[in-house]
Amino acid sequence: MRLSFRALISHGRVARRMGLGPESRINMLRCILTGLVRHERIETTRARADEVRFYAEKLIDYAKKGDTDEKSMRMADFWLTEKDLIPKLFKVLAPRFENQSTGYTRMARIPNRKNLDRAQMAVLEYKGNPFPPLFPEKRVSEFSLINQLLKGYREEKAQVAATKTDSQTP
Amino acid sequence: MAACLRRTGEVLGSLRVLRNIQQQNERFVSTSFPRHAASRGDGQPPKFTPPPKPVIVDKTQSEESLRRFLSPEFIPPRQRSNPVKFSMERKDMIKRRKAFNIPEFYVGSVLAVTMSDPYASGNSSRFVGICIQRSGSGLGATFILRNVIDHQGVEMCYELYNPRLQKIEVLKLEKRLDDNLMYLRDALPEYSTFNFDMKPIPHSLSGDVPVNQLKVRMKPKPWSKRWERPKFNIQGIRFDLCLTEEQMAHAQKWAEPWHQYDMLKEYDTSSLEEQILQEVQKGLAK
Repeated sequence: MRLSFRALISHGRVARRMGLGPESRINMLRCILTGLVRHERIETTRARADEVRFYAEKLIDYAKKGDTDEKSMRMADFWLTEKDLIPKLFKVLAPRFENQSTGYTRMARIPNRKNLDRAQMAVLEYKGNPFPPLFPEKRVSEFSLINQLLKGYREEKAQVAATKTDSQTP
Repeated sequence: MAACLRRTGEVLGSLRVLRNIQQQNERFVSTSFPRHAASRGDGQPPKFTPPPKPVIVDKTQSEESLRRFLSPEFIPPRQRSNPVKFSMERKDMIKRRKAFNIPEFYVGSVLAVTMSDPYASGNSSRFVGICIQRSGSGLGATFILRNVIDHQGVEMCYELYNPRLQKIEVLKLEKRLDDNLMYLRDALPEYSTFNFDMKPIPHSLSGDVPVNQLKVRMKPKPWSKRWERPKFNIQGIRFDLCLTEEQMAHAQKWAEPWHQYDMLKEYDTSSLEEQILQEVQKGLAK
């Protein structure tokens, strides 16, 4: 029986099996993560994006410890296959997320791949990147009909409450 | 009392027998005599001064270590079990530790365990051996002692919180190069032979636990496991005596060098350990 990914997690499997084995999986994720650090927004298949998301967040956690920390430097050296990105990680990304403790990335679903295999695709990005936002900003207008009606309702309720208290106090 | 006796002694000075008794008595209570003598000069009745508080040295409790040590079975494994289960077990473990002294020991320490046994003479049996493994967590935690008796290797698996345990003595507190000494099964028997009449070797209660840098020589292959494989990561075996360089290089085929960089496999227990240690210390002090 084919189980969903959530069911697999509940049965103790926290990682997907992808690639040609555990080593291949790690190498593939390394390459994707390097691309993510370089471009800050990438497009991959949904499973890969979901896998790499965990490592992308953990790498920021390590980078926050500073470049003098031996383990975080080794981690950055392993996970970034292109070594010119190591200063970017420590100098740009780590200060950017100083005030955050989780949620450094954002993932969005996009339409299935058209040309090749109709695979489910996704966009993965580090927050605070210079690109236009993935999701349209919410427009909250005070002058929309429903907001005006709600405003009137609240005012009316406040008036009723005020008259009630006035009639009770004397 | 000594003063009274002295006066009666003066009155009946001629009687040697009584004098002897008085001398004996004086010798007997001589420690409290000077305290009364100080206040006797004014003609006032002797004022009682309480003796200094005795410093009680409890020989059974002096074993308690001063170093911050949390027994490994307190740390819950990384799994999806309800944490309430572990906190309830911890309470029971602390209760048991209050009634029964479970000393600090490590894999590689030499222990003597006395266990009640209805079939043994005196209803208890004592076993001495080196601790080769500590496993399990919570109330079901176990440790394995190994010894060689009459050229026959014997391993006893004890549950730490078993109510049948009567005493756990640490004869020699030390660590070895590895956290699991299962390879002693395939080592020469001299490394796991311990005398049952071994006297406990005194150890310091603070500071680091000494690490025994002993490297064992193995019996010829086949072994129960391929200890040269990198997944065991064994430091305490003289591989140079039993394996060729080619064999050692061949074993590296199973190495997983990426494993240490896989953040998904990490389980950092330092903050959890600190929290549980405080809980345990608070519970034991109560």
